[in-house]
Amino acid sequence: MLNRRQFLIGAGAAAVAPYFVRGWAQSSPWEKTAYRKQERSRVAILSAKSYDIPLKDTILRGIKPFGLDLQGKKVVLKPNLVEYDPAGVINTHPAVISATIEAFRSLGAREVVVAEGPGHRRDNEYLLTASGLYAMLKDHGARYVDLDTDDVRPFQLRSHFTSFPHLYFPETVLQADLLVSMPKLKTHHWAGVTLSLKNMFGLMPSAVYGWPKNPLHWAGIHNSILDINSTLPIPQFAIVDSIIGMEGNGPIQGTAKHCGALIFGNDLVAVDATAARLMQIDPSKVSYLAKAEQFLGNMAQEKIVQVGESLSAYQQDFSVMPSFQHLKTISG
Amino acid sequence: MIETAVNFLVETQNPDGGWGVEKGRRSNTEASAFALLGLGSQGERSLTTIIDRGLKWLTEQQHADGSWPLTDQFSQGSWATALAALALAFFASHREQALRGADWLLRQEGKPLGRLQSVIYRIAPHKLPVQQNPDLKGWSWAPNTASWVEPTAYALMALKKLRPHLQSSRIEARIHEGELLIYDRMCKGGGWNYGNSTVLGEDLLPYPDITALTLIALQDHKAEANRVSLDALQKMLVQVQSGLALSWSILCFALYSQETAEWKALLAKGYERTGFLGETKTLALALLACTNKVSVFQV
Repeated sequence: MLNRRQFLIGAGAAAVAPYFVRGWAQSSPWEKTAYRKQERSRVAILSAKSYDIPLKDTILRGIKPFGLDLQGKKVVLKPNLVEYDPAGVINTHPAVISATIEAFRSLGAREVVVAEGPGHRRDNEYLLTASGLYAMLKDHGARYVDLDTDDVRPFQLRSHFTSFPHLYFPETVLQADLLVSMPKLKTHHWAGVTLSLKNMFGLMPSAVYGWPKNPLHWAGIHNSILDINSTLPIPQFAIVDSIIGMEGNGPIQGTAKHCGALIFGNDLVAVDATAARLMQIDPSKVSYLAKAEQFLGNMAQEKIVQVGESLSAYQQDFSVMPSFQHLKTISG
Repeated sequence: MIETAVNFLVETQNPDGGWGVEKGRRSNTEASAFALLGLGSQGERSLTTIIDRGLKWLTEQQHADGSWPLTDQFSQGSWATALAALALAFFASHREQALRGADWLLRQEGKPLGRLQSVIYRIAPHKLPVQQNPDLKGWSWAPNTASWVEPTAYALMALKKLRPHLQSSRIEARIHEGELLIYDRMCKGGGWNYGNSTVLGEDLLPYPDITALTLIALQDHKAEANRVSLDALQKMLVQVQSGLALSWSILCFALYSQETAEWKALLAKGYERTGFLGETKTLALALLACTNKVSVFQV
């Protein structure tokens, strides 16, 4: 039984506690467990002129510097498959996914699953057949999982940029040994750019968050990208389809732009910063990249060890929506 | 196709009586509702045991407040409540549970987009990044979030089906506002997608599955928008011939007294090509479409 003094102390503590919690959260909105920044990060850029040439060898050379141990592992490939427009260049090309399945299997992966939670369309059959993924997956005997309707598990957030108490992640992803984010190199009309970190939006099950995962947008796209990526509890890798990217009104209604490269890395912040530079976009001006740089990975060029081809050889001037013109400050 | 779909639904029923989104997956309210409608509408005595087990699972999932969670992984009521209520409305013996679901739906509404958006909409609507009336309230996917077309269409289907038995004074106003929201979000040239017709000045494409199910929800209207959207749907099906798109479209065309034979032939061919990815909902809708069971959705 509390006496009056104990009650008042307790009530006072309860009243001021939120201020301390909020104050701490403002100074450091991520928990220690979310910190994964290394001293330096490596990013590989490899030439890949088109989707018509064999890409398996390029994928193998691209992942080699990272020494991935895939023997007996279950790998989930998460491409960008948000929508299909016959005239557009929206999705990660099936040729890149196909080559990645072959490469990972040749390195001993026990299972390579392709998984996505399309944010707009619920019609998986149409998305898969129209995009060419269905035929490719059938040829490989590879499984596709619709993450939108997968079983889910809630996770306490490791950072607190949004006010969600937890986020639901799909079981298929949680049971993987390695998650490979395979975005398309694109500009984005709400976020500036959409690359390997933003691609993780597709993990969030729409059966919970709705189509088009609107609560995550209302919580702030940049905030949600940070909380999703900091909370993801499994190892990650990124392969960015930069053979043909999208500029302008991405991620759906932009125009195609040829870059002729694939980008690889195990630090998704470093990969995205490099991909942004490829588009002549200053990564430090992309809000979520600037914040991610504080705890999730390296953004600064001097902290990124570039292997493979030189960045400058593939840089292209990607146009952006007028509201993101301030991102375009890199030249050469 | 009919026998294949029936066998699929019979064979994929989970031991607990429900159906998952695919064979072997956790029982799910949406999949189970469509499976029950598909099998229940066949009027086959041999299916009675299967249907009774399905109804038992579905009714056991209903919360005390009348709602249904999407699966037993969630404690919160969900958008699938509309589909559960629609399914149970078909079975006269379960009308009471269906009505409790409808009552819950009437207590739910999508969150308006906010005062600022509302003011901008009244003064300079073209300044809004997404062209829509932000004040209209329909139904949302998740509680306390914005309204979207598909959950609003499902809610309208369930409420219109149960309207003769509902006591609530709010029903006509809610149905009316839900319809206004849907018409407000129609894509240029007719049809609907998930709920954004124009973003940052660019018109977005409508989807055939959403267009068809939305037209089903609006079947009691003779608006010009319905006619335009029916025409648009015919054009969309030239590009998109998935099981989901064709099944919803056949049911929609039948309700609007349009020819369906050509689309049924394509549906059967499509199944041979992909098996509709083994998706329970699509197989159940295909069964309803192939057997002309439009009464399930008729109001």
